[in-house]
Amino acid sequence: MRNVWIILKKEFASYFNSTIAYIFIVVFLLINCGLFMNFFFVSEQIEMRSFFGSLPLFLIFFMPAITMRLWAEEKKLGTIELLMTLPMKNWQIVLGKFLASYLFYLIALSGTLTIPIMLLMLNKPDIGAIICGYIGSALLGAFYLSIGMLISGLCKDQIVAFILSVLFCFFFFIVGIDVVSMTIDGWISGLGNFLQNYIGLIKHFEGIERGVLDIRNIIYFISMSILFLVLNTYSLEGRKY
Amino acid sequence: MIRVENLTKRYGSILAVNNVSFKVKEKELLGFLGPNGAGKTTVMRILTTFIAPTSGKAFINDIDVNENPIEVRKLIGYLPETAPLYLDMRVYNYLKFCGEARGLHKTQLSERIDWVIEACALKGVLKQEVAELSRGYKQRVGLAQALIHDPKILILDEPTSGLDPLQIIVIRNLIKKLSKEKTIIFSTHILQEASATSERILIINEGKIIADGSINELEEKAKESHLIIFEVKAKREEVESELDRVAGISEYSYVGKDDETVSKFEIRTPLDRDIRLELDQISKKNNWIVIELHRAEISFEETFLTLTKQSQKM
Repeated sequence: MRNVWIILKKEFASYFNSTIAYIFIVVFLLINCGLFMNFFFVSEQIEMRSFFGSLPLFLIFFMPAITMRLWAEEKKLGTIELLMTLPMKNWQIVLGKFLASYLFYLIALSGTLTIPIMLLMLNKPDIGAIICGYIGSALLGAFYLSIGMLISGLCKDQIVAFILSVLFCFFFFIVGIDVVSMTIDGWISGLGNFLQNYIGLIKHFEGIERGVLDIRNIIYFISMSILFLVLNTYSLEGRKY
Repeated sequence: MIRVENLTKRYGSILAVNNVSFKVKEKELLGFLGPNGAGKTTVMRILTTFIAPTSGKAFINDIDVNENPIEVRKLIGYLPETAPLYLDMRVYNYLKFCGEARGLHKTQLSERIDWVIEACALKGVLKQEVAELSRGYKQRVGLAQALIHDPKILILDEPTSGLDPLQIIVIRNLIKKLSKEKTIIFSTHILQEASATSERILIINEGKIIADGSINELEEKAKESHLIIFEVKAKREEVESELDRVAGISEYSYVGKDDETVSKFEIRTPLDRDIRLELDQISKKNNWIVIELHRAEISFEETFLTLTKQSQKM
C-alpha cells in the first residue's frame, strides 16, 4: 500500500504542477455551476436535480481530459520504462494513478458545494437528495475515470486517448436513453432493454440520485470501475509481450 | 551474477534478439558494442524485466526474470536510453520519489539522496525543474536515479550519448569507479567509447553476438594479417623493386610522401611472417636510411569491421 501512496503523491502533485489543472477546475465549475444557476433563477426551486441531471453528459468530456495524460505522458517521456522496472506490482501503480485522478476530480466536485450552501442559506432544500446526488456523482466519476485510464493506457497519443475515452463514456451514457434503447430493441429484440438497464449508466445514476440508495446501483458503478482498473492492470502486463 | 541463455525476442517478423547467450561475473564491467538497432537495448530491457523474451531465459543472481521480476528489479539500477525523467518535477523531488519508490525510508532515504547528489554532482540544480536542465545534467539525474538504492547491478543504455567530451570523461570515470563494487553492463555504438571504458566487450550485430572477450582477445581474433609501416630515404621505384623480390608479402602500397627522396609504404604480410628483420637487412644493403619501421597495431575499428564481416559470412 505504501507503493500506492508514493505513486499517488507523485501523480497528484504533477496535476497541479501545470496550469492546465487550474484552468480545468475553473472551466468545470463555470460550466456546471453557471448552467445550474441559469436554470435555478428560472425554475425558482430549491433543489439540485438539474445540476445532477446534466452531470453525466458533461463529465463525458471532462473526465477524459483528466485521464488522457495518465499513461500517454509516461510513454512520451519514456518514464514508463522507469515505472515498469520499479519493484512495484502493476496494480499498485494503476491504483495510485487512479486515486490521484479521483482525488483531483473530488476537489473539482467539492468546488460545486457552494450551490448546496447557497440553497441552505435560502431555505430548506431536501438535503438527503443532495447528498445522494453527490454520492452518485462520486461513483459516476470513478466510473468514467477508470474507462479513461484504461483507454489512455492503450493509446500512444493523448488526443486519441481523449477522443476514444469520450466515445466509450458516451456509449455507456447513450444506451441508457429510451429512444436509443427502443431503436436497438427494434434491431435485436431485448438487447436494447438489457443494455439500458444493466450496462447503461443513466438508470443506475438516476436510481441513486432519486434518493433511493439501492445497493445494486452502487455495485454497478463500483464493479464496473474495478473491472476497468483490472483490465488496465492486465494491459500493462501485456505490453511486455 | 547474470546469466543469459538462448535469449530470443521476436517482434512480428523481425528478430531483434537472436539466440543470445552470455554470462557476467560479479563486479565485472561489460560493454555491449554494436550499431543502432543491433539489439543491445532489447537485451537490456529483457534483463530489467521491462519486456519479456519470446524464448530463452535470463537469470539475475539465479532469479529468473520471467518468474520473479519484482525481486530482479530490486537488484538492478537501470538507466534507459532516454533518461526517464519527469520534466515537471524538481530534481530533489524526483530523486526523493525514486528513492521512495525503491523502498527507502527516512534516514536511509536522505542519506542515499545526499550520496547520489555528491556522486553525480547535482548540488547546484536541486531546486530546478528537470525540464530546465542541460543534456549533461539530465543524464546525471538519470544516473542518480539508477544509483539511489545502491544496487549490486547497473544496466546503463548508452550512458554517454549526447554528452560533450568532458562530460563523457566524467561519466566514464564514474562508471569505472563504480565497477569496483558493482556489476555493470553498459552499451554504446561508439567503438572508442567501448574500448576506453571496459576490458570485456560483447559485440552485437543484427541480434546476434559476434564476439565476446577482452579487447586483446578480439583483436587477436580479428587480425588477418600484419601491417608493417616502412619509411626510408630512397626512391620509390628502388624500394618497390626490392619489395617485389621479398617472399611472403601479401601486398604493399605506396602511401606517399611530400619529399621525393623519401618513400613510405604500408606492407601486409600473413600472420606467420615477420619481415621486419629482412627489411632492415635490405635497407643496410642498399644504404637506405630507415626513418620508420614498425608493426602497426590493428585498430579497434578494423577489429570491429573484420569481426562483423566474418560473422556475416557464416
